[in-house]
Amino acid sequence: MARTRCGRILGAEIYIEEGDTTTLYFINQLRAYQLVLAALKALDQDICHDGCSLPTTVNRVIKRLGKLKNDLEASNVVAEKKESLLSKIDSFLADANRLPQDTSQTCRKAAGECLIGSGCFATGALNLFKEITVPEAPKI
Amino acid sequence: MEIQQIENRLRGINIVLGALQSASRDICKNCIQLEGAKIKMGKMIKKLGMDLDAASICCEKTKADLQTRIDTLSKVAEELEVAEECTCQKTAKNCKIGEGCLINASVDLMKLVQ
Repeated sequence: MARTRCGRILGAEIYIEEGDTTTLYFINQLRAYQLVLAALKALDQDICHDGCSLPTTVNRVIKRLGKLKNDLEASNVVAEKKESLLSKIDSFLADANRLPQDTSQTCRKAAGECLIGSGCFATGALNLFKEITVPEAPKI
Repeated sequence: MEIQQIENRLRGINIVLGALQSASRDICKNCIQLEGAKIKMGKMIKKLGMDLDAASICCEKTKADLQTRIDTLSKVAEELEVAEECTCQKTAKNCKIGEGCLINASVDLMKLVQ
């Protein structure tokens, strides 16, 4: 079966066997995590560092990554590829765990500091996951 | 008000560039969408600089600080890594995420600044 390129995650070129939608699902998710975490790191340098939306988003990302890891472990992705992807999930989890997670802080809008309007950068960053629409999550 | 608007746009650009830097390390480095986003962000930063020049900000230090931040972001945008020859990675059948686009969605984060 032909191998096709489908991403570069943490510096590694990623290929799959054509038609392997289960592996592709995990790869696509990781491509999005790579981007979302970069956006969240940028937010951490902003006033969002002292707010509650960034930690709320970070906690969601950590939870989702944990679920992705469990799903990958339980999946039929071939062993070598599974190990490689699991190590990338662990790396993203470590990155996410370095970001703020204390949700007891005041929203910067409520504090009168964030004056961008009704939108929220942290929520916007999380919404980047919505760009990934295929393939559907495998039934585990 | 003018300072606040410039400040808000700076915050947005900083986040978008963070996301685009990450995209440039993915297969998006070879993507025409990233090439377009780099140009778009460059223009946005240039316009921000012009708006700052035209703004009536009395405090020279505030103006200089904003200019420094604009210069920093301008450098980050210029240094975004894009391949010499780009093709949409969906068309090239490398990007298989569906109809969405991580790069365009990242640039759209600027729409949160009202």
